[in-house]
Amino acid sequence: MTLPLPEHDGGGRFPGQRSLEQRDHWDEATSSLILSRVGRPPDVCFFNAEEEGIASAMLDQLVGQEGEPRVPLVNVVDARLAAGETDGWRYADLPEDGEVWRRSVRYIDEDSRERYGVGFAKATPAQQEAVLEAVHGLEGQWHGMPAGHVWNLWLRYACTAFYAHPWAWDEIGFPGPAYPRGYSNLGVGRREHFEVRDARPGEQA
Amino acid sequence: MRSQNPLGTVNALRSVRARNESAWLLPVSSPDVAERMRSYADDDEVDLVIVGCGAGGSTLAQRLARQGWSIVVLEAGPFWEPERDWVSDEAGSHHLYWTEPRVIDGEDPVPLGSNNSGRGVGGSMVHFAGYAPRFHPSDFQTETLDGVGADWPLDYEDLRPYYEDMEEELPVAGQDWPWGEPHSYPHSPHPVGGNGEVFLRGAENCGIEARVGPVAISNGRFGHRRHCIYRGFCLQGCKVDAKASPLITHVPDAIAHGAEIRANSTAIRVDVDARTGLARGVHFVQGGVERFQRARIVAVAAYSIETPRLLLNSSSPRFPEGLCNDFDLVGRYLMVQGAPQTGGRFEDEVRMYKAPPPEVSSEQFYETDPSKPYKRGFSIQTVSPLPITWAEHVAAQGHWGRELRRRMTDYVHWACLGALCEFLPLPGNRVTLDAEKDRRGMPVAHVTYSRGGNDKRLMKAAQETMEQILRAAGAAEVMTIERYAHLVGGARMAADQEHGVVDADCRTFAVPNLFLTDGSVLPTQGSANPALTIMALAARTAARLAAGARQGVRRPTEASVQQSE
Ligand SMILES: Cc1cc2nc3c(=O)[nH]c(=O)nc-3n(C[C@H](O)[C@H](O)[C@H](O)COP(=O)(O)OP(=O)(O)OC[C@H]3O[C@@H](n4cnc5c(N)ncnc54)[C@H](O)[C@@H]3O)c2cc1C
Ligand code: SF4
Repeated sequence: MTLPLPEHDGGGRFPGQRSLEQRDHWDEATSSLILSRVGRPPDVCFFNAEEEGIASAMLDQLVGQEGEPRVPLVNVVDARLAAGETDGWRYADLPEDGEVWRRSVRYIDEDSRERYGVGFAKATPAQQEAVLEAVHGLEGQWHGMPAGHVWNLWLRYACTAFYAHPWAWDEIGFPGPAYPRGYSNLGVGRREHFEVRDARPGEQA
Repeated sequence: MRSQNPLGTVNALRSVRARNESAWLLPVSSPDVAERMRSYADDDEVDLVIVGCGAGGSTLAQRLARQGWSIVVLEAGPFWEPERDWVSDEAGSHHLYWTEPRVIDGEDPVPLGSNNSGRGVGGSMVHFAGYAPRFHPSDFQTETLDGVGADWPLDYEDLRPYYEDMEEELPVAGQDWPWGEPHSYPHSPHPVGGNGEVFLRGAENCGIEARVGPVAISNGRFGHRRHCIYRGFCLQGCKVDAKASPLITHVPDAIAHGAEIRANSTAIRVDVDARTGLARGVHFVQGGVERFQRARIVAVAAYSIETPRLLLNSSSPRFPEGLCNDFDLVGRYLMVQGAPQTGGRFEDEVRMYKAPPPEVSSEQFYETDPSKPYKRGFSIQTVSPLPITWAEHVAAQGHWGRELRRRMTDYVHWACLGALCEFLPLPGNRVTLDAEKDRRGMPVAHVTYSRGGNDKRLMKAAQETMEQILRAAGAAEVMTIERYAHLVGGARMAADQEHGVVDADCRTFAVPNLFLTDGSVLPTQGSANPALTIMALAARTAARLAAGARQGVRRPTEASVQQSE
């Protein structure tokens, strides 16, 4: 499977990179963990149905997911929140992570209704992006919470969920787990046989 | 200096093994080790109970178990079985971090968890990067030399023999070291990957000296330790047993000499006898049940946040503001190093995730340079973030959505350096108890941090130097984010009780049979990674305890008797 990323957003730079095809070279503990990420997503239980729809759209926007297949971000984040699996700290001016997420989806939805007369989950991608960008650009408080700290928390959860997924690794040329085989070709410009050369190395602006 | 000739190596191996047989006892899960572990009853008054089985706690346990002391180590986290419990994956390593609730505050709140706090047998070193530099002689007297920070109540010379021992026991690999007190390493340097190559090239091009090492990754035969496979997941726990952590470097030998490592046991209070003024043991929770382990001596080694938290939570009529807190010093002078990270973009593929993240470092800017607008300095090292950490790096530049995705597809072209800036100890940077409680009903730590002016100037200088190196290596684009690394302080050592919580032997001034043997006792931090120094200090404390009569330390000092009356 390949995630749909348009070429102008960096898609297709590593044609044929498939970390999952290396699974026979992974140790058992790692392999069962990674395979669970491409298996059936965990049921949503922390968010209620309405929150789920909003959170899902939000998380997709935060990492630019549009179209199928997609990494089931809302399921992964929901599972973390249900288990209370935090990063081991919270800002003194924010409540606990789960509470911040509940408030966030409510306020994002309110912002969307106020701006566009439609809830966040049903707004167009461009409208969703604008609603989020407004929070991103905010210096002070957003609905009584410090905008910068809230933004930081959203992205930590979104990035961790997305870049833990083998399809996301394929898109950036990362071959995934490396035990017990390891690497033998170290150094600039050197590759293992299972690493794919960047087809457009001059890309970055 | 240590010899690197073959005969010298054989002799050195023999003496390491005579001192600490851990590497020859691996794997830890083998019946020889695991099933032979002693187990003490709560009522047994053991010679020593240690809280925390990390860098400091494990070293102390191993040393004194060898002296025949009866020892119980209480460790909040699990007893890891690397093959079963650890994965070659970033997100899946979450359970290695200390993720119980903590609150961060101040002008520059410091993220905790994965950044600086581990749990389980082996402590934070299970997922530490693996750099093992010594402190410089100047670190022990920054107040005298530079008018900043604090002088230690001991000198570099006091630690030197313990540095040498630890370098052999981890063991440390690297080139001959020209900085601080020049010294060599027992194992030769590892080959470098793309990131190390970029650093070496850039440094050379702009006249900065950089060296390979020093890393606590064996390179050559060392007991049953396997050779590094250059897979780059050192921060996720080394499944290969190539990278050092106390789980494989000190715990096996401690167990073989009769120590009990009691995992999943969280200390909640140190008990002090109101009449004698001596510590009697430690209250802990295991499986939801509260128990009490009696001991003749107590050592706390729970690291810079949990050690102060435990002391503050152990208040009594004699210590109303928290144990050993007569002078309002417990929890204060907590330090982190400013650790800006600079990425550089190369048209060639660097693929920095290959090879261990710790590869190459420079301590050229470590010492105070009178021509600069700041005191003390910084070091520079390779850091090689894996995808999730790199995504946070890119996100910290303000990118999100499709722009974040686009920039992430460029991952293989980036090299990344990190600096360690010596932030100065400030009394306002501290651990206190929050109103929030954990699931055991113990107040969680509230950690406040703000930077001073010197700190900010150092951060800026370090950033400029890293950008210069990467550009000199040929980077077309650079980007820097601000980060923090490591934790030390919070219960510092000093010459007297008005300035510190413990003395040079890590013994608390207030309770003569209570010791703190972890990173919390450091009065300053230099720009070196702290683990080697923490272990050397613990080994020194052990040697001091072993040399004195065990009864001796139980005799209260006059001061403590008077105060308790
Ligand atoms: C990602 C990362 C990278 C690092 N990189 C480096 C590096 O390259 N070089 C370097 O020198 N250092 C590095 N460090 C720092 C180094 O690991 C620590 O400084 C060192 O391990 C601290 O030693 P310690 O003995 O003070 O505490 P730890 O090693 O953290 O041990 C403390 C132990 O106490 C336990 N504990 C805490 N509270 C309780 C309680 N109430 N009851 C029972 N047990 C308790 C904890 O679970 C833990 O196992 C890194 C750390 C991290 C997290
Ligand atoms: S790179 Fe080497 S030291 Fe690091 S985790 Fe892999 S095998 Fe262990």
